[in-house]
Amino acid sequence: MIKIDNLSVCFSNIVINYPNKTFKKNKATFITGRNGVGKTTLLKSLARLLKYEGSIAYQGVATYLSQEPTLFNRSVYENIVYPLRIRQCNLDLYNPEIFTYAKMLELDHLLYQNAKTLSSGEKMKTAFLRSIIFSPDLVLLDEPTTHLDIESIEQITQLIQTLKKTMTFLIISHNKSFLSALKDDEYYLGGSHVQRKND
Amino acid sequence: MIVDGFKEALQLLVSLDSEIIQIIALSLGISLLATVTAGFFATLFGILISITTFPFKNLVKKLIFTFMGIPPVVLGLFVLLLLIGPLSHLNLVFTKTAMYIAQTLLVFPIVAGNIIISSEKTQQNILETATTLGASKSDKIWLIVKETKPFILLSLMLGFSRAISEVGAVMLVGGNIRGETRVITTFIALNTNMGNYASSIAMGIILLGLAFIIHSFIASFKGGLYD
Repeated sequence: MIKIDNLSVCFSNIVINYPNKTFKKNKATFITGRNGVGKTTLLKSLARLLKYEGSIAYQGVATYLSQEPTLFNRSVYENIVYPLRIRQCNLDLYNPEIFTYAKMLELDHLLYQNAKTLSSGEKMKTAFLRSIIFSPDLVLLDEPTTHLDIESIEQITQLIQTLKKTMTFLIISHNKSFLSALKDDEYYLGGSHVQRKND
Repeated sequence: MIVDGFKEALQLLVSLDSEIIQIIALSLGISLLATVTAGFFATLFGILISITTFPFKNLVKKLIFTFMGIPPVVLGLFVLLLLIGPLSHLNLVFTKTAMYIAQTLLVFPIVAGNIIISSEKTQQNILETATTLGASKSDKIWLIVKETKPFILLSLMLGFSRAISEVGAVMLVGGNIRGETRVITTFIALNTNMGNYASSIAMGIILLGLAFIIHSFIASFKGGLYD
């Protein structure tokens, strides 16, 4: 389980005090709320990419996927296996899984193409595979459907359903069909927790 | 006069005059060695500065940026004072080693400064991605080296251009000794003072030609400037 307690993130003129919450393990929880209520800030704090006050507690490894993912200047395959390479994993053991997932997401014919040449949707799917291939415990997805077509959203949905058995997902999404297909729980941010210093 | 310079440049090259070949070889050798040495350490230093947070980081960056524009003659004077003062026991004044030290110090801030600028402005997303995928500090350094290869090559090119074209520092610490520490730029300065403009123009053309060849070589690396 993932627990946030008295979590507070401070910018130059904004303080966000998040309501306490315990997220269920191996479930997909959607973070919802209007623009500017701190959804992305929450995910980045959980990924330890931002400084925060209060407590964030979870066991294992978390990974964060931005809505505008950055791919490295190398092939799609090399992008996907990057987290495995830095962990010095034996790629032969992972290749069957990589090819299966790549086929599921219709990336199999692009595996040896330079990732910089992909379309936005293909980049998102590549970045998604890269985020989950090393089996993190917590996957933080920030608008993962932004550049995806309907078929691709269905493919990602299906894959997340499979991965939920071993991973916990916290997802920001405004896509209603994606949300209704995957949602186990919801963390709604209303906006009253955001304080602006000039308010 | 310029036409005469071209003619003399051709004659100098064709004649394979041993003094001229020695001057060209020394210029190239010292500038390349200084660029490689400074380039290696400055690249690591620049990337480390850009991915690390520490007190007075901005002050360190300002100092690097300031030293990017240091007049070579001032740096040469500083190195000379060191070599005739605290380091006089090394007997390095008016030697090739002294010229190498001066040029390395001259190239270092140029490469480091450019790496810092390119890493901080363009690689923030890469660093964030690498962090969230579990990369260690050494993984991040290696990743940035690979991802910023065009910027690194550009920085090395700027560093090499600075090294091979400067005259003040090598003149001060090398002494422009014929057959020993004379390089293309000090040859040009000396011959211009003596009124041998054609020789100066000839060497200037050779210098430009060399810079073009080295530039083309560096730019030809895969994933480099023109890919």
